[in-house]
Amino acid sequence: MSQLTRRELLKSAATAGAAAALAPALGGSAGAQTTPKRELVVAQGGDIGKLDPHFSTSSNDIRWSFNLFDNLTSRHPDGKLHPGLATEWKLSAPSTWTFKLRAGVKYHNGDPFSSADAKFSIERTYDPNVKTMVATALSTIDRIEAPDATTLVVHTKKPDPLLPARLAFYGGQIVPKKYVESVGNDAFNARPVGTGPVRYVSWTKDDKLVCEANPDYWGGKVDFDRLIMRSIPETAPRIASLLKGEVDVITQLPADQGERVAGNATTRVAGALYAGLYVMAVNSKRPPLDNPLVKQALSHAIDREAIVKELWRGRGVVPSGPIAKGDNHFDPSLPPLAYNPSAARDLLRKAGYKNEEIVIETTVAYLSNDKQMSEAIQGMWRDAGINAKVEVIEYSVRAQKNREKSFKGIFWSDPTSTLGDPDGMMWRLLGPGGPQDYWRHPRFDELGNAARFSVDEKFRGEAYREMTKIFLEHFPWVPVIQPYEDYGLQKYVEFTPNPNQQFEIRRFNFKFKRA
Amino acid sequence: MRSVLGFLAPKLLRALVAVWLVTTVVFVVMRLSGDPVPLLLPPDAPTSEILRVRHDLGLDRPLPMQYATFVGNALRGDFGRSIHFREPAWSVVVGYLPATLELGLTAFGLALVVAVPIGMLSAIHRNSPVDHAAMGVALVGQSAPTFFLGILFILTLSLKLGWFPTSGRGGWEHLVLPALTLGAFSMASIARLTRSAVLDVLRQDYVRTARAKGLPELAVVAKHTLKNAALPVVTITGLQFGTLLGGAVVTETVFAWPGIGRLAIQSIYNRDYPIVQCTVFLSAILFIVLNFAIDLFYGVLDPRVRPR
Repeated sequence: MSQLTRRELLKSAATAGAAAALAPALGGSAGAQTTPKRELVVAQGGDIGKLDPHFSTSSNDIRWSFNLFDNLTSRHPDGKLHPGLATEWKLSAPSTWTFKLRAGVKYHNGDPFSSADAKFSIERTYDPNVKTMVATALSTIDRIEAPDATTLVVHTKKPDPLLPARLAFYGGQIVPKKYVESVGNDAFNARPVGTGPVRYVSWTKDDKLVCEANPDYWGGKVDFDRLIMRSIPETAPRIASLLKGEVDVITQLPADQGERVAGNATTRVAGALYAGLYVMAVNSKRPPLDNPLVKQALSHAIDREAIVKELWRGRGVVPSGPIAKGDNHFDPSLPPLAYNPSAARDLLRKAGYKNEEIVIETTVAYLSNDKQMSEAIQGMWRDAGINAKVEVIEYSVRAQKNREKSFKGIFWSDPTSTLGDPDGMMWRLLGPGGPQDYWRHPRFDELGNAARFSVDEKFRGEAYREMTKIFLEHFPWVPVIQPYEDYGLQKYVEFTPNPNQQFEIRRFNFKFKRA
Repeated sequence: MRSVLGFLAPKLLRALVAVWLVTTVVFVVMRLSGDPVPLLLPPDAPTSEILRVRHDLGLDRPLPMQYATFVGNALRGDFGRSIHFREPAWSVVVGYLPATLELGLTAFGLALVVAVPIGMLSAIHRNSPVDHAAMGVALVGQSAPTFFLGILFILTLSLKLGWFPTSGRGGWEHLVLPALTLGAFSMASIARLTRSAVLDVLRQDYVRTARAKGLPELAVVAKHTLKNAALPVVTITGLQFGTLLGGAVVTETVFAWPGIGRLAIQSIYNRDYPIVQCTVFLSAILFIVLNFAIDLFYGVLDPRVRPR
């Protein structure tokens, strides 16, 4: 409720005098599309907690830790894996990956980077004595060898086709062995040292983190001298600070606020399609949701185009199945999920649906627009003859129901594709024993398991195609939207964001426009 | 000397009981309302990993045992380690304190400096346009939610007029809007109370006598009215300081001000038990010390409440 009033307030204030408001505020710099700035100021929506990258997976922390540190592999804004501290990698046996490492790289403190650091860093993530928060991120690894300074050989317990992808995400940040061992974990957390494009200068908690550019970065020096990460938790002041020109980039721009930023003379919106989907997950054990025909009807009765257009102001796409656009094995030939209320009615008749109540349990603003979408969909379902009810639950209740698997019917989920691959998304969540295991299908399970341990991408592609077909008959999730994650930028900032909140700022994707 | 002790001892005892109660309630409520561990781990962490981290943090032990450890350590001044920051809780919280004190004292000073003269002016010129205007504004100030006021100030004074920065901590210009927002409620209530207290005193016989003696109006107000009207004003002012501490939670969040109010809110979201306990403890102590100071100040102002 308070969320609504805030938004309403902002909206009315914006319409009241957006144009008039901005002209004096911007003064002489009005209309500046170039800048002489050497300092980049970024405002994000939450505070940074830890500087040691192996102790946090929170998006507020990884937004800067992927800039202070490098991974062996790097996922670029194009969604593909590119060289990081490793220049090339190949499968040398079914369960063995061999990485060729970059030579001549130095840490911010001058120490040289070598394969010993990579081995130490990866082993540190699952070392029971260190007690990191990413102990399971790289747990497919059996042992690691470092035969020479620029070669790393990683043996996995079973064939792991996704190891290079795992190394690009959290847990994969490479820390300096010598420094960490000599100062200890606490001192490392207080003064982190990495190989990335920026190095640590100072941090005032909940206020700002200051970094400076690493002039010797192997990927080329970034186009600024200093980077300041501020945290402005409330959306309205965060947007105000951008419009006023106090900051250069803001993160977490809600879809319904985009027009404010885009409509302003000096700012613009840049987004990356979320690496994942917003879905209505289904407790398929509860009748009538155990009947696939009913779930097909639920999907047919949702006008997703209207949801994208009205609730998301066009900042999203309609999904075609369980695989997010941009992931491995996404099938572009598949049509977006269709809106067909008459087909829904036929399916309900065929299913013998007797107006049983279907409960949508929604949180408020745990996902953007969750309650609004629930109410819109409830209305669409009612028009198609489905008796749905919306119940609002607290976030902590949702967490408990999630753990106990006790949802009454439908609940919101935002499955993230952690590896850019269906294995890290639908199989991780929907697989046997997974967090959303409410439905089993022998063929689906057989294929999901085989694809997880296969290093034959052609086979994996076929497996996921068939799994998608089964999925679209049974709808263990009813996918609703793949939204954009938007940033607000000054027009003099040229930046292409990553699809997975990593917020990597590199020479190739960031530039200040100069006069 | 004994009488001062007799005056202070029961108050001190009550204060200690209050601190104990507050920290205990917070301890229990925090633990019953959520688990920090799923927030620390990646979304795909298996249950075994959640259990492992719960064990490492000692959260799998029975509640009474956790409580005994907490009390034992707290008595030695050890509030444990922050789950979120991985640093000792006490030093984290103390690091946030200067920002809150800076904001709170400025807001408080601003409230007093503005509210007392306005309240007096309103009383002296009661039912004049000045009085109506001042009390109208005060009514708005007292009833507008802090959140609304903060955003309104940002959109108008900062974004539209460009006078102040939108948020963050820095020079004095960063302080104006948050102090105004935080002080608004106190300012309004102090102004309203000053007005009625002064009105009350102005009706007293000794004021009529002073006027009858032919004293100039300024002397009547300054010498005879002010001191007698001060007592209720001091009381409400002391209570207002507590409101300021509470208001700091919202104000600091709106203005991205790195103080303990914002730390408390963030730590509740993060279920960072040690930090929440430590901030609550510190706020309780601060509140009690202030009330103490006001009690003592009372004695200075009014000889009748002095211990005999």
